[in-house]
Amino acid sequence: MFTWRVLKRPFVLLRTEVLVLPSRVAVLAFVVGILALPLFTKDPYLLRVVALTSIFAIFAASWDFLSGYSGQVNLGHALFFGAGAYGSSLLQHHLGWSPWITAPIGAVVAGGVGFVAGIPCLRLRGSYLSLATLAFPLILVGLLFALPDLSGGELGISGIEPLVRSRVGFYYLAAIVMLVSVFAMWLVGDSNTGLLLHAIREDEVAARASGIDTQRYKMLAFVLSAFFAGLAGALYAHMLRVAGPSTLETAFSFQAVIWGVFGGVATIYGPVIGVFLLYPATELLGGVPWVGEHRLLVFALVVLLVLRFVPEGVSPWLRDKIEVVCRRCKARNVFARKDCRVCAAGLK
Amino acid sequence: MFASWSRVVRGALAFALAVFASQALAAGTVKFGIAGPMAFIQGEDHWAGAEMARDEINAAGGITVGGKKRKVELVKIDTNEILNVADAATALERGITRDKVDFVLGSFRSEAALAMQEVAMDYKKVFIVVGASLDQLSANVEKDYERYKYWFRISPLRSSDLVKSSFAMLGSVAGEIKKELGVPVVKVALVAEKAAWTEGFVKAASGAIPKMGMELAGVWQPSATASDVSADLTAIKGSGAHIVFTAISGPMGVALGRQMGEMRIPAIPFGINVEAQKEGFWKATDGKGNYVSTLNFYADVEITPKTLPFVQAFRKKHNRLPTYTATTYDAVHVLKMAVETAGSLDADKVVAALEKVEMVGTASLVSFDKQHDVTFAPGKTMPLGVQWQDGELVAFWPNGWNGITFKGVKPFKVPPHMKGQ
Amino acid sequence: MLASILVTGLVNGGVYALLALGFSLVFGVARIVNIAHGAFYMLAAYLIYVLLDVVGVGVAVAVPAAVLGTVLLGLLSYWIAIEPIREHEGAVLITTIALTLVFQEVLLGFFGGHFLANPSWVDGTFPLLGVDVTYQQLFTLVVVAVVLGGTWAVLERTRLGIAIRATANDRVTANLVGMNVRRVEMATLAVSAGLAGIAGAVVAPLRVVDPLMWQAPLVTILAVVVVGGLGSLKGSILGAFLIGYVEAATVFLVPSGSFIKGAVALTVMVTVLLVRPEGLFGVAFEEER
Repeated sequence: MFTWRVLKRPFVLLRTEVLVLPSRVAVLAFVVGILALPLFTKDPYLLRVVALTSIFAIFAASWDFLSGYSGQVNLGHALFFGAGAYGSSLLQHHLGWSPWITAPIGAVVAGGVGFVAGIPCLRLRGSYLSLATLAFPLILVGLLFALPDLSGGELGISGIEPLVRSRVGFYYLAAIVMLVSVFAMWLVGDSNTGLLLHAIREDEVAARASGIDTQRYKMLAFVLSAFFAGLAGALYAHMLRVAGPSTLETAFSFQAVIWGVFGGVATIYGPVIGVFLLYPATELLGGVPWVGEHRLLVFALVVLLVLRFVPEGVSPWLRDKIEVVCRRCKARNVFARKDCRVCAAGLK
Repeated sequence: MFASWSRVVRGALAFALAVFASQALAAGTVKFGIAGPMAFIQGEDHWAGAEMARDEINAAGGITVGGKKRKVELVKIDTNEILNVADAATALERGITRDKVDFVLGSFRSEAALAMQEVAMDYKKVFIVVGASLDQLSANVEKDYERYKYWFRISPLRSSDLVKSSFAMLGSVAGEIKKELGVPVVKVALVAEKAAWTEGFVKAASGAIPKMGMELAGVWQPSATASDVSADLTAIKGSGAHIVFTAISGPMGVALGRQMGEMRIPAIPFGINVEAQKEGFWKATDGKGNYVSTLNFYADVEITPKTLPFVQAFRKKHNRLPTYTATTYDAVHVLKMAVETAGSLDADKVVAALEKVEMVGTASLVSFDKQHDVTFAPGKTMPLGVQWQDGELVAFWPNGWNGITFKGVKPFKVPPHMKGQ
Repeated sequence: MLASILVTGLVNGGVYALLALGFSLVFGVARIVNIAHGAFYMLAAYLIYVLLDVVGVGVAVAVPAAVLGTVLLGLLSYWIAIEPIREHEGAVLITTIALTLVFQEVLLGFFGGHFLANPSWVDGTFPLLGVDVTYQQLFTLVVVAVVLGGTWAVLERTRLGIAIRATANDRVTANLVGMNVRRVEMATLAVSAGLAGIAGAVVAPLRVVDPLMWQAPLVTILAVVVVGGLGSLKGSILGAFLIGYVEAATVFLVPSGSFIKGAVALTVMVTVLLVRPEGLFGVAFEEER
């Protein structure tokens, strides 16, 4: 009897907690789909695109953790991505360590860079912060160019060891790291800490007045966000086997912002959706005549159009279409329901 | 939102159809992937050169593989590398796995060339670089032959050889200046963009220039994408340099040419200036780039018997001079030769054939050294010296250097505003 | 050496000031970080190129037409893409980035990645303190002075100027006392696009015209505007000359170090921010809510 209940538990949970909400079903389908993809296709190009998408998803979600949650809009997020890529590659290349050791160190290095970058940013607010952060990666590029013997100058570091040689293996590595990191960020974002970050973004003075050490939480957002962006950067470097200044480009920082706002900020899952919609689409469109040659234009126009009509981002908009919030108990329900699944109040 | 999804679905459908159709048609062709930044002139010329080779070969029946004639098919691989390095590796992988190209030609930006080299070697695809000069690419071949042996470079020379040939030319230019101006010691200011391939120049300059009887007036290293070098030029003018020795591949070359003319810097710009190799340079500098001179690989001179017919045919079709990335023309031909010798498309056999190939190309006599670089030797493969003279790109070198003179070279001109000093 | 630094810094500072003015104005009034400002500068340069080289009109027609065209494109962009989503700060920021990409790609499609040039207005050089300066560079300084004077006159002496300053100071109150804040913003954007257009007309002949030409000035503009204090015109002018001098000093004092001048300028910017988080002349938005 007892074992039966234990075995039944996941299915009960699935039925009562997951299948009741379309958004949770979508998350489940997404996770299953990502993990099952290599069972259906071994096409290395497709797996490459999805692996890159996963890496960029971590990057975009980490941007959201800093900019969406704590409201410190970072326009130079590539700094952390590049720090992770360079950190891991330099150690691997100069000391010959295994990439399995250097990649996590790269992420930690990025976290450290996040701490250093966070110090001046604690004093800055609003647009000043955004514009200052925009400058950071460019300053780092200047530094890297000034030390070509260490950094390889504009070529960066090449001939880096891959983490996994087989494409399917790397695919799973990227996918699992992505799922775990995104889940971790979402957990933190959904916890008390996340709530405090929301409070700081909405009204820092009030938050401070309520006895919250806002500096400490803002710094925490910087370090955690940088850590995950660095992890993405390290994965990227070991996938391309080149870590160069292109990982620090302004255009790449802007990409994170575009993915994030397109998907919907302060959600963590929004930017992931943004990346998974935009990146494979622009890549696949590369095969279509005309569109392929003008994919950046198509990309920019799609972003313009979507934001014009859905400025809050795709995922919050979509979620509001398929789910309604109960006015009494704030629980979410499928849009088709007439009464709340938790408190049975009428939804209309 | 829905618009974007339907676009994806439609894109994927169109893509599947295109793949299907091309595979149905492609049975029996030899596929060359032309990889370059197609929105930029480098990629345009990658494609233009290859197109001319394809039309020629197909008009003559095609490539003989194991007794059967097969037509040449070109696949455009837009690497977008100038804007995004990751795109380059992804695009190449798509070309190899989806479009199933047999060979890859092209690449331009060094950082992207390195990433693309890895991808091509992973798939053991013969990859002939036309465009990136970095030494490290060919050093890899010697370091790990088994992995990197599928890699070759036909153009340009590796940068250390570019250094050697530009110093040889520098001697000739300095001779002209001495003769024309009657100065005892020629002063040289080195302007090298901050990049890995120019490091050789900076290192060699301090030793070689005094040894050649000249004086090094200083070294300036602006960023490759600088759009304004007027501050540097003011300093250079103050240093009293007669020659501004350039090592520039980026858009800074245009800014330098234009501002030197505008500020009437009394010095002759000479060296490597990739932008000045293009016919658009005159327009890009608004005619201020007069007397700018640079190494080049094509001009209206006879490097080999094939040069002039190619340059003229190219001019007829595109109404301008080919730049060095159009050497894809030679690359397609050299691969044809290797495939026919090997009698198969098998990469290992083609590599063995390429290693022994000897071919008269349009820009050089093509053979590959042990690093799989095009062999650099006087009279075999060497660059030209060209100068902008009143709107025309005129070849002035080699003119008697080591006994070599290309048919069609004209004298070098010293700017008149230098003489009036 | 000293004379070289003095003159070069002055001349480049003038160029930066011209580029930064419009950006600063729009931020000050509408609180929009307009990444597309560099794109408007680029559009003006291309418009002039087309009018001179393709259509074949004279400079006297081409320049006003190009400035006007830039203003219209600016207004159009605002009206179509920015105005409807004014409330969403993040979306506005990305919209300006996406607009820039659209302009870049359209120009890339029409003209390819080729480098083009606009002719100088005046040829030749002038010895200033023994340093040769081109007339075009001097001309830039004159234009900066005129534009500054004009902007100042508009801001201080006209009803529109009063409205702009009122909106910049306090949007809500301006709205409450019956000003059409939306129209004020639109007017500011038009003025700003016009300033970008003038910069394109005057500065582009010193540089290269190509579809990526918006990038280099953008970073400099940001440094200038942040150093000077966002939204402060006086600050922007001072910031421009400060950055101009810092860059000139880097080129002349650091041996073969001119590649690093951008990074040095940005470091100066970060340092200034550390000392004064609202820039030299910025208004400290004391806990704006």
